[in-house]
Amino acid sequence: MVKQSKKEFRKRDFFYLIPLWGLSLIVPDADDLYSYRSKDFKRRELYYLGVLLLLPLIWSDQHFHHLMVLAGIYAILALGLSLFLGYAGQISLGHAAFFGIGAYTTAILTTRYAFPTVLAFWASAVTAAAAAFLIGKPILKLKGYFLALATLGFGEIFLVIVQETQALTGGVIGIFGIPWLSIAGFSFDTYLKQYYLTWGVLLGLFLFSKNLVRSKLGRAFLAVAASEDAAESVGIDVAQIKIKVFVISAAFAGFAGSLFAFIMSTANPGTFSLGFSTLIVMMVILGGMGSLYGPIFGSILLTYLMDILGRYQEWSLPIYGVILILLLIFFPDGIGIRLGIRLIYLIGYWAKKKKRDEGKF
Amino acid sequence: MSLLIVEEITKKYDGVRALDRVSLKVERAAIKGLIGPNGAGKSTLFHLISRMEKPDSGKIYFKGKEITSLEPNEIAALGVGRTFQTVQTFGNMTVVENIMTGMHLRLKEGVISSGLWLPWIRRGEKEGLKEAKEILDRLGLLGRWKSPASQLPLGKQKLLEIGRALAMKPELVLLDEPASGLTPTEMQQLSERICQLKKDGITLFVVEHHMGMVMEIADEVAVLDHGKVIAEGTPDAVRKDSKVIQAYMRGKRTDA
Repeated sequence: MVKQSKKEFRKRDFFYLIPLWGLSLIVPDADDLYSYRSKDFKRRELYYLGVLLLLPLIWSDQHFHHLMVLAGIYAILALGLSLFLGYAGQISLGHAAFFGIGAYTTAILTTRYAFPTVLAFWASAVTAAAAAFLIGKPILKLKGYFLALATLGFGEIFLVIVQETQALTGGVIGIFGIPWLSIAGFSFDTYLKQYYLTWGVLLGLFLFSKNLVRSKLGRAFLAVAASEDAAESVGIDVAQIKIKVFVISAAFAGFAGSLFAFIMSTANPGTFSLGFSTLIVMMVILGGMGSLYGPIFGSILLTYLMDILGRYQEWSLPIYGVILILLLIFFPDGIGIRLGIRLIYLIGYWAKKKKRDEGKF
Repeated sequence: MSLLIVEEITKKYDGVRALDRVSLKVERAAIKGLIGPNGAGKSTLFHLISRMEKPDSGKIYFKGKEITSLEPNEIAALGVGRTFQTVQTFGNMTVVENIMTGMHLRLKEGVISSGLWLPWIRRGEKEGLKEAKEILDRLGLLGRWKSPASQLPLGKQKLLEIGRALAMKPELVLLDEPASGLTPTEMQQLSERICQLKKDGITLFVVEHHMGMVMEIADEVAVLDHGKVIAEGTPDAVRKDSKVIQAYMRGKRTDA
């Protein structure tokens, strides 16, 4: 035993430390995961930001840029839904409708009324939020499955309304020729510019939601998810909190829809179906509920998955289904969260392996 | 004037009278105990006071104001905190956040200002955190302030629930079976803490199945049986009351 303790520290241990240090920059602390979620900003978040800014410059491929733009838009949507689904514990299967309301507001205001694009962008969020407020009042009294069905119904009603009001929305064909978003003469007309636009908006909304969840509102969301009785007992107005989080998450969807309309330059009802709503829910669940990075991660993953599977034509849907099922089996609490814990476990395992082999434990 | 007055309150479940014209008073800065055998209607009365259920008839006054038709959160805003029979801590938050959730009504409001993390929100959070830690320190939970509430043992979760109610700065705290599921040592600690709260000027209304503890800490005890108050008075007087002995002998044997 004396001999072994001499060997306890060697120079080459420094070399092991370098990759571990590198990992420690990007991997969440074990402490954070086990103390559930720590809500203050960390230094490693600056590294994420750096990667985000440099990535399209290093990997300057048009297809990649376009995919990341889409992923960014989905991520905005998933981020909003994550507040509603992951934090406040309510379910919505009609978020595609708010996305659609955002897209159509932008489309109608810019093509028919020649609104300034920036104004249309903000108006989209306001319209989506207003719609959420109006339908939220009655349907948020429902819980669980009933809420899921009510929101699903809302999504379908939205589709029908869009298809029937041809004069305003162009019916099944939709609206074409939406101009690029331009701010003070600078127009976002290339994929690279759109990348920075979408991820910039996402960053802003991310900071907003991060602040939100570490304030008293965030605690109220979590309290409502944990126990409505207990939340009422400390004076939280549960009905009001539910409406608030619903409206916020719809506003996020409105922003995402507006960006989608600007970038695709079309808006048609086919996009905003039930399938899209479930895709967003899937992104939130796969990424990890109750975290803000999870949905972003989930949306990037699913966007890529869909793109890759697009090559397999008629096989793509079955493969997609199988992959989703496998992911849900092996990562039930979200890939982001599970991978984080796994990685930390492995780092701990490597670090202690030597000692364990020597019979120290 | 009494802090809480319950007047002639009746509650029926499918024709069964859970509470039959019950009248009670809770005095300021005192500990009032409410005991009774299983199914006597103790918890029902608590639910009615915190308005989780509606009474069929009767009135409830708090600080001279009628609260019979208010919403549960409005009652909390008036200064009535409560704990639950089965612990209902927010397991998805850390211990300190649980306490800070109790301060909900005292912290500044606003979706936009919270999202932008404006100075007054930041200041409020900072002060809230400091105060929450003080409360945890008083309850002896400070050592685990960062761990998830769901990981605490039951006894600590019960304390945490009391802490959450205290964070509201309430005038009246309703404790629903605080001792159930606790070990004798934990129970001893709990009674000490409850007596400490009384010294801090908080009025406590305790429903308890465990007679020994209530008799020890309460200034006044009411006994409920089959939805009726059968005795009310100091612990010693109640203990000697023949009706009480009878009610308890019929049901479970107690260690009182």
